[in-house]
Amino acid sequence: MTALDVSSLTGDWRNTNENGRIKRIVCTSGSSGSSASLGSSAATSANPPRNPEEPEEPRGTIQVTCPEFGTVDAPVFAFEFDAKQAGAFYALYDRGNQELRLQANVKLGVLVVVTLFRFPDTGSGRSNYFNREFFYRIAP
Amino acid sequence: MTNRIDIEPMAGRWLKTNDKPQWIGSADVKVDGDRLMVRLHGGGLGPTPRDWGTVPTEAVYASRIDTSDAHAGAFVCKYAFDDFDVEVQANLNLGLLVIATYVTFRKPGPHANRFTREFFRRDA
Repeated sequence: MTALDVSSLTGDWRNTNENGRIKRIVCTSGSSGSSASLGSSAATSANPPRNPEEPEEPRGTIQVTCPEFGTVDAPVFAFEFDAKQAGAFYALYDRGNQELRLQANVKLGVLVVVTLFRFPDTGSGRSNYFNREFFYRIAP
Repeated sequence: MTNRIDIEPMAGRWLKTNDKPQWIGSADVKVDGDRLMVRLHGGGLGPTPRDWGTVPTEAVYASRIDTSDAHAGAFVCKYAFDDFDVEVQANLNLGLLVIATYVTFRKPGPHANRFTREFFRRDA
């Protein structure tokens, strides 16, 4: 299996809800070689830093940037086991006191984004919470 | 401290809504203190195991940051098999349990890493 075609995922995506927690997601092809190339995001077990001595994940990753959280490498996924086209990705941001699982898939040209926020710290009174939002692409 | 999520609405036996074979066939979800214990069963499609076994949730999520209500909440758990790993994310939506999986193969092979999203109704 060679790397999946990520063209349906790459681009500049904007939230359809102007009051959404995440306003914009930019997806670019390729890998930074690390899961946490910008900001304070840290590598995690879901997308650990890649050993440069090892070949790149043959099935593919993209770089996912949320201005609020930084840039990470995210593995991509197909809708079928024998597909050549990626239709989903999974990005994980870990800022210590806030973890964001950002899971997205393209459906009918819309990026359907599930966000799962977790607050490992105690004392904040915040609940971990789940949300789903929709993004449209303004540029590929 | 962090609010306890009222996870009870996500517990129960969940059956697939689709008559055709699919990745996951059913789910048994039980409350275990502040977490859930999840047992999935394969739905006959692709390399899905017949019995995925029981794993604890890694995290549970409420409907909003300011509530412990989970009637529109979610959970995440992980499975590790010989050839692939699966992260499972399930959420309640209008009485359905929507289960998404992210399947990652450990070695190069004929299969693409795959995303699935399937729907389950509560067993009456």
